[in-house]
Amino acid sequence: MAQQDDFAPTVALADEPATAQALDIRFTGSGSEYFRIWIVNLLLTLVTFTLYAPFARARRIAYFQNNTLVGGDPLGFHADPWKMFRGYLLMLLLGVGYWAVSNFLPGLAWIALLVFMVLWPALWRASLQFRLRNTSWRGVRLSFAGDLKSAYSAMLPFFLPALAFVLFLPEVTEDEEMSTEAARFSAIVFGTVVLGFSLLMPWLLARLKRYQHGGYVFAEQRTAFRTGTGRFYGLFLKTGGVSLLVAAVAAALFALVMFVLARGMFTDMAAGQRRVLVTLLVPVALGVIYLLIPLVSAPYFGARFQDLLWNGTRSEKIRFNSALRFRSLFRVTLVNWLLIVVTLGLYWPFAKVRTARLKLEAMSLAVDGRVDDWLASAQQAGKGVLGDAAGDFFGMDMGL
Amino acid sequence: MAGAPASLDSRWFDGRSPKPHAVTLRVEAGELLMQVGEAETRRYPLAGVRWPERRTHGQRQAELPDGGLIQHADAAAWDAWAQACGLQDSAVVGWMQSWRATLMALAGSVVFLAAAWLWGVPWLSQTLAHQVPDSLDRHVGEQSLQQLDRLFLRPSQLPQKQQDELRQRFASAVERAYPQGDAPHWELAFHASPVLGANAFALPGGFMVMTDELVLLLKDQPDALVGVLAHELGHVAQRDGLDMVVRASLISALVGVVLGDASGFLATVPATLATQAYSRDTERRADAHAARVLHAAGIPPSAMAVFFERMLAEADSDGPSKDDEEDRVSLPIAIGSHPDHAERIRFFREWRGEDSSR
Repeated sequence: MAQQDDFAPTVALADEPATAQALDIRFTGSGSEYFRIWIVNLLLTLVTFTLYAPFARARRIAYFQNNTLVGGDPLGFHADPWKMFRGYLLMLLLGVGYWAVSNFLPGLAWIALLVFMVLWPALWRASLQFRLRNTSWRGVRLSFAGDLKSAYSAMLPFFLPALAFVLFLPEVTEDEEMSTEAARFSAIVFGTVVLGFSLLMPWLLARLKRYQHGGYVFAEQRTAFRTGTGRFYGLFLKTGGVSLLVAAVAAALFALVMFVLARGMFTDMAAGQRRVLVTLLVPVALGVIYLLIPLVSAPYFGARFQDLLWNGTRSEKIRFNSALRFRSLFRVTLVNWLLIVVTLGLYWPFAKVRTARLKLEAMSLAVDGRVDDWLASAQQAGKGVLGDAAGDFFGMDMGL
Repeated sequence: MAGAPASLDSRWFDGRSPKPHAVTLRVEAGELLMQVGEAETRRYPLAGVRWPERRTHGQRQAELPDGGLIQHADAAAWDAWAQACGLQDSAVVGWMQSWRATLMALAGSVVFLAAAWLWGVPWLSQTLAHQVPDSLDRHVGEQSLQQLDRLFLRPSQLPQKQQDELRQRFASAVERAYPQGDAPHWELAFHASPVLGANAFALPGGFMVMTDELVLLLKDQPDALVGVLAHELGHVAQRDGLDMVVRASLISALVGVVLGDASGFLATVPATLATQAYSRDTERRADAHAARVLHAAGIPPSAMAVFFERMLAEADSDGPSKDDEEDRVSLPIAIGSHPDHAERIRFFREWRGEDSSR
């Protein structure tokens, strides 16, 4: 959902005078340079049958972080690509195993799900640790301090719907044939789970973010996330409202067009032609609406969500501020998609850079006191090699 | 390593505090010499330092083995110094700095993707599908049959005698088409299915299902029914069921590699298109198999034409209207997985035995 990418700001801070001081964020990456990085990475990844992927990823993250200047100083990225490579191989193994089980032995899918549930929160935490430990600002490494138990309690509820299906639906499979009663029962289970989960979603997401944004550490500063769950519900409701509004407006426009057509050219047409035209237009209209809704609601959610997250994240001496506006994100997204389509995808890296610039430069930090006097906390020893690859493989490395 | 001791004034962080220190850098005899303040000089072997990749944008950061970090804001000055010291870029970095090399990489990627699409993916998925042991193949087929059974299939209403006759007829056709007895294993079941209508399908493991509705539609044309079954047996022989699963996964993996973290919707489009295109190929091959089996059984393949004609008529009568010809236009943008019916009818009518070697 949240298309908050790798390049979402990780964390950072500040400088000199003894009073509160603002640090702006600037992004200096360029689309044309990232295009070259992307293409070369792509070719190398393809010809090595994706074995180059972790190296490509390390270079990509390094490019974006080194071009993110916080108060004039760039973020560093120091991960050893060979470690990421090992993690990648392991993840590849896990992923192929999961794929094979769910496709060839669907009867055993619950075991795969169970294994996944047991491993995933730990991998996710390891991925956060790996990423932050390998990110620096002014030579000081960041770290992630969330504990394992909280990772499980924050992440496990997301498996509930899948678990509910596995637990409740198989009882029906015993029947020779699906009776109407059994069908109704599974429909009820399905409906309840989906409805229940969508009602719980904002709450679950709030818990997840509270864990994630409450574990970032720089020097001796550990962040906490203080946004109430109610605001997550508010955001989800508003996003739903925006989607409905877009659908309604688009449907009304379409109805208007049809009406005008009906009055104008339709009268001159044979019955058959008219039907053909309608059968052609309706799917087109539905397709347009289907595309239009995410085009508006995704940037809406994206902008508001970033603001919600980072304005609620602070430590004793650091405050984050995010003022990303829907209008700017919508404009950039729209232009990006148009150009991606027109260039058959070649605009992709440019789009990535533009979006990153917009999102990052909407943020700033306020720091109390002299950063120069801070000291790094003792580095933790744990080396979660696996974690980083886990994030990329399942697309979970975003700001979920 | 030129003797000229080019030096560079830079900033250094010790890794424990965010406080910068002014330093002077020099390279001498395979070592990086970093002078901190007046008195202290630190030495690092060049190979132990993680040097930054040269890029147009961004600052330069060099990681020291003791956890320290040298950070230089003026990228151009750093690059000039590094070059003067004889520090080399890796080949990949030089490649990314050159537009010509990048464009060649682009062309290379396109060629690779095209080759993967045309040959790589079909070859790999066929190979993999045929590597799957028979027992697993059967297991997958049984599982999906159970699922379909629950959802769409009802017990057949056809008299047992009619079922047996059809089965026998098909069996003898297969026997004649595979004189060495090397026909793939198959099991045929009849089911009523109001949902699927007149239809037949094959699952991994050789499970073939034909609906009562189809048998009734072609009750006066048992040869066409044999043809339909031979088509399904073609899918079994080619292991198309597993093949498609593998292909779809390979294609989504490819899309994933190209677009990285593209949003779900964007990623599904190429995957769907590819699956459609590939499944048209498998239908064609299954048709060819059907024609061969029919021919070997002494039935003219053109018997299959009736099947398509009746299916077409059936589809029309199901449609919202059947009053005039114009309604039969197929939507030009619709992408059907079955090759055009007219084309398939022509294929069966004009089939001339090709190479009868099978």
